[in-house]
Amino acid sequence: MNWIRRLFRKSRAESELDKELRFHLEQQIAAAVAAGADLKEARRRAQREFGGLERVKEEVRDTRWETHFDNLVRDFRYAFRNLRKDRRFSLVAIFALALGIGATTAVFSVVDRVLFRGLPYAHDDRLVSFGLTAPIEKDEFMLGASYVDFRRAPGLFEEVTSMLPGDSKCDLTEQSAVRLSCARVEQTFLSTLGVQLILGRNFTPEEDRPNGPRVAILSYALWKDRYAGDPSVLSKTISLDGKITRIAGVLPANFEMPTLVPVDILLPEELDEEVQRRSVPGSVLRTFGRMKPGATVSEGIVGLQPFLEQSLHGAPPAFRKEIHLSVRSLRDRQVHDAILASWILLGSVFAVLLVACTNVASLLLARATGRQRELAVRAALGASRGRLVRQALVESTLLGLLGGVAGCWIAHLLLRLFVSIAPEGIPRLQEANLDLRVITFTLGLAFVSVAIFGLAPALSNPAPEQLCGRDVRATTRRLLRQTLVAAQIAVSLVLLTCAGLLLRSLWNLQRAPTGMETDNVLTETISLAAYRYPQTPQQIAFFAELQRRLQPLPGTIALALSDTLPPAGQMRSTILAAVEPEGYPPIAEGTGGAVAWRAVTPDYFSALGIPILRGRTFLEHDASASENPIILSETLASQLFPNEDPVGKQLRLFRLQTPWRTVVGVAADVRNNGLVASSDPEFYLPWKNDPVESLSTSQIVLRTRMNPSAVAAWMRAATASLDPTIPAKIERMSERVGKLAERPRFNAVLLSLFAAMGVVLAAIGIYGVVGFLVAQRTREIGVRMALGATSRGILKMVLWNVARWTIAGAAAGILGAWFCTRLLRSLLFEVSAHDPLLLAAALATLLVVALVAAWVPARRAARFDPLVALRNE
Amino acid sequence: MNEAKPELLRGTLDMLILKIVALGPSHGYAIAQRLRQISKEFFTVHQGSLYPALHRLEDRAWLQAEWRDTDTGREAKFYTLTKKGRKQLEAEALGWEQLSTAVALIMNSVE
Repeated sequence: MNWIRRLFRKSRAESELDKELRFHLEQQIAAAVAAGADLKEARRRAQREFGGLERVKEEVRDTRWETHFDNLVRDFRYAFRNLRKDRRFSLVAIFALALGIGATTAVFSVVDRVLFRGLPYAHDDRLVSFGLTAPIEKDEFMLGASYVDFRRAPGLFEEVTSMLPGDSKCDLTEQSAVRLSCARVEQTFLSTLGVQLILGRNFTPEEDRPNGPRVAILSYALWKDRYAGDPSVLSKTISLDGKITRIAGVLPANFEMPTLVPVDILLPEELDEEVQRRSVPGSVLRTFGRMKPGATVSEGIVGLQPFLEQSLHGAPPAFRKEIHLSVRSLRDRQVHDAILASWILLGSVFAVLLVACTNVASLLLARATGRQRELAVRAALGASRGRLVRQALVESTLLGLLGGVAGCWIAHLLLRLFVSIAPEGIPRLQEANLDLRVITFTLGLAFVSVAIFGLAPALSNPAPEQLCGRDVRATTRRLLRQTLVAAQIAVSLVLLTCAGLLLRSLWNLQRAPTGMETDNVLTETISLAAYRYPQTPQQIAFFAELQRRLQPLPGTIALALSDTLPPAGQMRSTILAAVEPEGYPPIAEGTGGAVAWRAVTPDYFSALGIPILRGRTFLEHDASASENPIILSETLASQLFPNEDPVGKQLRLFRLQTPWRTVVGVAADVRNNGLVASSDPEFYLPWKNDPVESLSTSQIVLRTRMNPSAVAAWMRAATASLDPTIPAKIERMSERVGKLAERPRFNAVLLSLFAAMGVVLAAIGIYGVVGFLVAQRTREIGVRMALGATSRGILKMVLWNVARWTIAGAAAGILGAWFCTRLLRSLLFEVSAHDPLLLAAALATLLVVALVAAWVPARRAARFDPLVALRNE
Repeated sequence: MNEAKPELLRGTLDMLILKIVALGPSHGYAIAQRLRQISKEFFTVHQGSLYPALHRLEDRAWLQAEWRDTDTGREAKFYTLTKKGRKQLEAEALGWEQLSTAVALIMNSVE
């Protein structure tokens, strides 16, 4: 390639050009001589006609691209030299930019999925989750009896669909059997969501009828992993829970359930309209719909009103007041509890970016003032305005580029950190990656801020006085710089206060009593496959045998079975109004709120370290069918039997249709709704040998005096010896509790990180500005000292100057913090959003940091030798 | 240089150079001479326009250059038309023809 060759063989190109032009000149002279002119005269004329060899050469060079390239390279080299010369400035500016860009990019990549990115459904803005909400079920649902009527005429909904709630398991019973997540969905499910299968077809209405042909739709991952992405699976059948099932289709790779539960297989819901109508209120269904274009959520609610009436028709009046209609966008349903935290993270990271940009801006301004003389000299020597602007732009670009590259690296590290410390339940976090859009956006922002403040000095015409180094415009610039410092202080204070609140809240949370002693307690979650243990007696037999095998493990203090475990997650629940204490009138109004309950074996309380306050725990013989004891939690006991000893009293559980039960004991309260939400009152029933409810998923609790990890291995082995196909999930109780604080910890850690960044950046900003201020006033300080100012006086003067602006910034920061912390309120646990102590602590931290950052350069000023300072220009 | 002579239309010089080189490989001086001769002294192209144009055309690979001896035994840079250059010349000639026809039509009708 000619042009590349020329770039590297520039001297040869130059000499060839010279030779070519000289040849022309000589030919011209020769022609003139041939025409009869005198040689001397001919040369003179030819040269005049040629108009200067160098000028022609220059014009030729200008046509060649490598000249522009050369200029650019020269500009970049010059810029690079400048940045290297001012190493402290460059490092600080690049560091600030990188922190700002890195943090913003990483956080944006995370929250983008939560807040902005579309859901993987067609026209996802019209998709809603609709139905009823109740105190014990905060997500929308509908009851089968009213849903089968509603779906016939869904009014403002273009299409509606339903699925069975929960995360149900099914087993692929072929060679190398696996446990899968199966969702039962209505035939309209995929069309309502606007999902196109990549292979095969949707269920037919026939297949969605009770006892219809068995068909399944596979998830993309299952199809790839298990069937190697083979399109011929459509002609195959699989054995699902021991039943032959035909594969109808394959879901696209980006498919996700509207409830966000993981899913491997979709099965038809097989809703039986007749059964639903007969057994009012029918099954609980998760209902989703696609609104007609232009229809609003509130119109949708109005349309549902008749079905609310219908659903509540047979219900006790107690229910009615606390059941509401709700229609909300699918996005809201999916991310509702991550939204606030996401906005807060985004806001705080923008604050960091703001501090970083102001920091770079004030650094650039400071430097520009220092370089006014250089610019003036260059302008005086004939550099055009365009040339100076280009130079400034190249320098800014280089700075932005270096900051951007370092920023991408920081973003990459931060994102990895986020993903590794993130709690479960931040939707789509695993997919978060550095997004090109986000990087472009932040890089652009950095470039703009760098370019604006980098260009400013080049755009103004240098005044002639600047040639002698006098700064004519220092005052306005100083004001601007100090305002920038004040802004940094203000933003950092807000960040610090918010981080302090979240940390304090986390501290409270982690010390909040759970009502249990969780040390040395192991839990094992066992979920029995329906095809191996279809009947409750088989399940009971399995657990009885497992308990028998675990009992002799060395070091066991207590071993118990329970269907569910506190302090969070699933539990059985009913409402207070459904519990009828003997001798008390039923609750007059409302449901009384949710009441949790569990079926437990006698050692449950000792295994978890829950004190029995009155009466006794269950006994072995309570498991027999004829006994009906019940243990109440302290709160429930005082609600049902105020000011009385509940032991020995009778009560009846309305919804369980059981006979009178005798209260045999009162147990201390245990947190059961997670660490933040208030706990529900609770009661315990004995683990029966003939339970009504299925026990396919149950928990084993084991308190040991041995090393828990060794015991965990034994438990695993014992379970496998009984049935090797069972996936046993063994955790320490303390881990389970610790997990609950994960999300607050995530928020607190991130916000603290950003606050720390803000403070560091603000400190750098103050240091840089004061350092520059001192350098600029060297001569003045020299004069003052010569006139008798002490070094203490100088120190005081400089520090006072900084203090004024810091205090102004802090005042603005306090105001900002007052507003911002209110937004945090719902994330806080047992700490006031306006905790004055925390605000004071944040303020003190920031003031100390500011003072130290100012102290170092101020001290340097105080130690000036007046003679040297006076001579300084 | 004669002041009265019209400026070459922008871009016309490139076409004229291509046309002259198409007649046979030649060096810069010869091209200038031939331009003058063929146009009957109408165009005098200045070196400050000629050489930038030649280098530009070489950059675009419409011309190819090599050092060769002239008849008088001096070494000179000879330009040859490339295939790409020939195509360009054809395109420009066509465009020029259409333009001049159109201009002539307008000028005649107004008269």
